[in-house]
Amino acid sequence: MAAILMIDDDPDFILAVQMVLENAGYTFFSASNGEQGYQAVKEHNPDLVILDVMMDTATAGFQLALKLRGPDAEESLKKIPILMFSAIHETTPLRFEPDEEFLPVDDFLEKPVVPDTLLEKVEFLLERSG
Amino acid sequence: MDWKPRSGLQYRAMNVAATNKRLIQVRWGIGGLILGGTLILTFFFSLPLPPTPLLLLGSIILIYNIFFYVISCRSVDCESKMEKTQRLIILQVLLDWVAMAFFLHFTGGITSPATPIFLIHLLVITILLPDSSPVLYLALVIGVVVLIAALEGWEIWEHYTVIPALACDVYKDPVYVLGQIVFFSTAAGVMVMLASAIMKRLRIHERQLEGLLITSQTVSSTLKLPEVLEHLVVSAARALNVSSASIRLLDATGENLRMEADTGLSDTYRSKGPVQVSRSLIDREALSGHIVLIHNAADDDRFQYKDQILAEGIKSVLVAPISGRAGVLGVLRVYSRKEARFGEDEVDYVQAIAAQGGIAIENAMTHAALQEEEEARSTFIHTVTHELRSPVAGAQSLVRILDAGLAGPIAEKQQSILQRVSRRLDFLQELINDLLTLASSSTHFQHKPEPTALEPMLQMVLDDFRPLAAEKAINLEANGIKPDWSVWAGEDSLKIIFTNLIGNAVKYTQEGGLIRLEASADETSVSVKVSDSGIGIPEEDLVNLWKDFYRASNARTSGIQGTGLGLSIVKRLIENLEGQIRVQSKEGEGTTFTVTLRRV
Repeated sequence: MAAILMIDDDPDFILAVQMVLENAGYTFFSASNGEQGYQAVKEHNPDLVILDVMMDTATAGFQLALKLRGPDAEESLKKIPILMFSAIHETTPLRFEPDEEFLPVDDFLEKPVVPDTLLEKVEFLLERSG
Repeated sequence: MDWKPRSGLQYRAMNVAATNKRLIQVRWGIGGLILGGTLILTFFFSLPLPPTPLLLLGSIILIYNIFFYVISCRSVDCESKMEKTQRLIILQVLLDWVAMAFFLHFTGGITSPATPIFLIHLLVITILLPDSSPVLYLALVIGVVVLIAALEGWEIWEHYTVIPALACDVYKDPVYVLGQIVFFSTAAGVMVMLASAIMKRLRIHERQLEGLLITSQTVSSTLKLPEVLEHLVVSAARALNVSSASIRLLDATGENLRMEADTGLSDTYRSKGPVQVSRSLIDREALSGHIVLIHNAADDDRFQYKDQILAEGIKSVLVAPISGRAGVLGVLRVYSRKEARFGEDEVDYVQAIAAQGGIAIENAMTHAALQEEEEARSTFIHTVTHELRSPVAGAQSLVRILDAGLAGPIAEKQQSILQRVSRRLDFLQELINDLLTLASSSTHFQHKPEPTALEPMLQMVLDDFRPLAAEKAINLEANGIKPDWSVWAGEDSLKIIFTNLIGNAVKYTQEGGLIRLEASADETSVSVKVSDSGIGIPEEDLVNLWKDFYRASNARTSGIQGTGLGLSIVKRLIENLEGQIRVQSKEGEGTTFTVTLRRV
């Protein structure tokens, strides 16, 4: 089954998502900040990455997404679908629809975790990327 | 009806129009008097007046008065015609002068008892036309009297002996003639000088009052401190007719006076740095409540920056304290390049300006402080609720995991408890979101309103709620919303407003109920009515409805969850957009909210 990497600084969220995904049969890895996350992507080569929009800094998630998808990113990384946890009223310079230029992610998810919605979106993105 | 205070120019125009009217009115009387007087004196009293020329003169006066009457502006708004009216007045004065010369001639020349009338005319001119030089008129009047005396004396012009008792040759007697001329000229000269001096003072006071009026208007037209200071300093300089003035305010330490506004000063002077109260005797004196007058800066050692003042060419300075209700705020300085330019009058005047300024400055400062407080509060709420998010969302996620059985099977009792926990956490999250919206709805956080299409947004919100409405078998209708209507709205604010209103309607309406959206528009606004057939709002709750955290009594007992912040948010957002919201409701029957927004 597919491997999913989650990068989030909140261990409770990681636990929640882990339980949902492992219960559905996915392999789950996690990292708690942008640096570790980037290394983990290179190391585990996941089929999907789940990112939190804000981590240790207000733009950590955004920056990691750019690193994975931006103009300077490696080609192999660009293919991995990214699902981002967001929240309304974020004070980061983001829009709320994925947009090639502004925010290179494939879809959004709101906290707290709704298990069904999470699984739906994960399945959809994995199917789309083949 | 909007009352707008009149400008100095308007007052002047009003005065000119009034002067013109008065001249014409008086002239009717004079013309009539000449005609009537001639007839009576000649036919009843048989005085040897030349009737024909005098009657002719009287008639001519009346005729040209008719001409002036017709030409003059008699409408209510004569301000635009001020220049024309002024020219008309000058013309009238000249014609009157010619007429008076002839009148004098026909009533006996230098022996005429009517010579004092010239004095009256001179006085009237000095008072009514203060801007022109009275010396000119004086010269004209004396000149014409001398001319008449000369022309008649040398028999170039015929002399009319009007007072039979006078010796018929007296008009040729040099002593008599000289005597008359000298006394007349002296009287005229003294009168003109006095009247002129009085008028000059009156005009100065008039200008000062006008200046105060304008200062008062401009200074209270804004609550922004920099603008208030700018208006104040410009008004002061203009009203005193000097080129430069400055306002310095005490900083927080009370030790420095920083330049906050100035006019007519060079950059080198302005950049000289703050005045330290301890080093400037002048400002210390002023700050203690006294006006300080300096007639020659070169002789005075009380300045901190004396060299710069002299370099700027300043000779006289007037320093006045600006005081608010709580104490001294700073100083107003007025500068002149002439020595001893300022005296008692100016002291009075500057005190008046400084007093007004003090109040206006304090108001502006209070306003600024209030706004800062509001912003700080919003930022605080924003930060705090933001911090609350993650923990709540984390807890909720885990509870849901448990409830879904993902950490092992859950007994029914355990599940029911988990669901209660989940509901409390849901509420907490809703409260946090609402608080964040509330904090963001202060003007500090709002985006500038842009033209926003109403219909697509309303449809989007309606679509969001259709599933929920369908679950409760509530009929959701929308009428009369034209697709081309656009309103001034900030990003997302429309969505939040209607999500709240329609969401409330769905929440508080029973199964099988009805919710209807109706829209109407006129040239300047669009109104949207959200009506429901729900539980309604009790009358005593209507007045408190918009308060933070307020929930109507029937809502609280209904078991329906709510934070009490929704309407407060809606009201703030609508007010930010300069719109209006009204509510009508009957408990048990339903509620209608009417939102009116500015149309694009």
